[in-house]
Amino acid sequence: MKKLTQIIWRWVGFPGTAIVVFLAALTWLVIGCSTAGNSASTASGQGGAQLWAQNCQRCHNTRSPSTYNDAQWEVAMMHMRVRANLTPEEHKQILAFLKSGK
Amino acid sequence: MRTLFPVLLTVLLLGSAGIYAQENKPPPGEDYVSRAEYDKLKAEHEAMKQELEGLKTTVRQIANGTVPAPAEGPSTTTKSPEGKQVVTEATSQSDLDALHEEVDSLKSEIKGVVPGTTKFLLAGYGTAGFTARSGEDPFFDAAFNAIFLWKVNDRLLFEGELEFQFEDGNTTTNLEVAQASYLLNDYMTIGVGRFLNPMNYFVERQHMNWVNKFPDKPLAVYDGLLPESELGAQLRGVIPIGPTKLEYAAFVANAPDLITTPGDFSTLGMLDFGNLANAGGHIAVGGHVGFIPIPELEVGYGILRSKVGPRDQAVEAILQSVDFNYVRDSTLLKGLINFRAQWVWSHVGHFIYDPDGGQGFGPFEFNNNRNGGYVQLAYRPTGFGNIIKNFEPVVRYDRLNQLHTPVGFDEQRWSFGLDYWLTSSAVIKAAYELDNKNAGARDQDAFMLQVAVGF
Ligand code: HEC
Repeated sequence: MKKLTQIIWRWVGFPGTAIVVFLAALTWLVIGCSTAGNSASTASGQGGAQLWAQNCQRCHNTRSPSTYNDAQWEVAMMHMRVRANLTPEEHKQILAFLKSGK
Repeated sequence: MRTLFPVLLTVLLLGSAGIYAQENKPPPGEDYVSRAEYDKLKAEHEAMKQELEGLKTTVRQIANGTVPAPAEGPSTTTKSPEGKQVVTEATSQSDLDALHEEVDSLKSEIKGVVPGTTKFLLAGYGTAGFTARSGEDPFFDAAFNAIFLWKVNDRLLFEGELEFQFEDGNTTTNLEVAQASYLLNDYMTIGVGRFLNPMNYFVERQHMNWVNKFPDKPLAVYDGLLPESELGAQLRGVIPIGPTKLEYAAFVANAPDLITTPGDFSTLGMLDFGNLANAGGHIAVGGHVGFIPIPELEVGYGILRSKVGPRDQAVEAILQSVDFNYVRDSTLLKGLINFRAQWVWSHVGHFIYDPDGGQGFGPFEFNNNRNGGYVQLAYRPTGFGNIIKNFEPVVRYDRLNQLHTPVGFDEQRWSFGLDYWLTSSAVIKAAYELDNKNAGARDQDAFMLQVAVGF
């Protein structure tokens, strides 16, 4: 056991270990807090607007639906489908929202 | 307005019913239509078509606001039993909805016939910056990244990125990305070509200047211990598990090269990721898995393994990365919280450098382990007034540990930044960076400004 912790320590180092432990704790905390309140998720049946608001700002600021025309959104959303690994349902609903929300 | 839609519908219905009837019911006693009858029918049909087109045009004009809508349909004024006047709104919601639907279908019909707009998007970003770093001459720089996206069809996407940059007084051009992606099915997409490294979260999803919240990029994750792009093939996708999602990417690519004959001794034993010709002839295998329990949070792990170095003395390199990204609208803090962290480890197997002493420092060996990464927190007060909500203060800690390698020191920095968002993808950034190196290496604090515009 001591050997194992030593190996992990040498491999992962400081502050790497501290950060991994911290992040693991944080993950647990965040999940704990948010599943209690809202079961916000990818579940189907949610509107495109909601899916857009929830999923698109994890990586960057969201651009208003009026930024692009329908044809441009089709290309951008296919790009995002691949880059952000969207489910087909998310892709479909969000694209419909972006096309209608102008 | 009210009369328009029923008329349109009636015409359509009558038209199609009429045609149907004519086609299917020959006149009694005869099983063919005479030329005269046919011509008469055809003329009627043409007239009907024209009428329909006329109606469509009117609807379109109304929708675009180029002509005023016909006066609100006749409102019926009746006397209620109490003797009060009651006005019944003539235009009911369902009429409106139906009209909207019609307008939408017309819109997409029109777009369908305009050539060339359905498939191509020019995206990307432009950057202008200024850096004053202690011990170096201050400088201005500028760059332009153009991203060409072709949606060939519903399954095939081509993506190319060209970066134009000033380097040592010259303009350089880099082909950062050239990838064809094909959607095999709902859960699998295959990509071939040159693509951003999927096991490096920062590189694949955060390094773009309109996304990254600092003028510079964190140590270790960018231009550090992990490659920025890969030349090979990847398989990626997402598996929904109940309300959560698991995303994955797996790839094979040209291997990095091990630096064994360096121009600069401190780079000895580092990995050269710009190995486009694949010197050494090894293949790297890698991947990333990301767990998204709620849309605001993603936790991921990435790995890359490869043989590196000369073919006859190749050693193993293992690169690993953990990433954590959490973005949440907080009503309590009246704003958007943005917390990101990534830590990476690089391990290169035991190798004897300059075994015969020909380079003047060998034989030389060392434990080739390095690690580093960053933790960053930003807050955008979206719940406040006009000007305030455009500001975004941000703080970052980043670090790169390589004291026991030929580099000979660890570096850590604290950076404080203030961003001002002009639009959702145009930003002005200012940052001050406190640098701290050990083992007697020189600390280099820096002040930086940057304007970035994504389009
Ligand atoms: C996993 C992270 C991630 C998520 C989630 C994400 N994006 Fe992006 N998005 C990116 C990155 C990275 C870029 C920049 C692409 C580049 O420069 O290669 C980008 C670029 C864009 C662009 C610019 C045009 C383009 O295609 O490059 C638009 C528009 C966009 N995203 C919209 C969206 C929308 C809408 C959503 C929600 C469905 C979304 N994004 C979700 C990472 C993400």
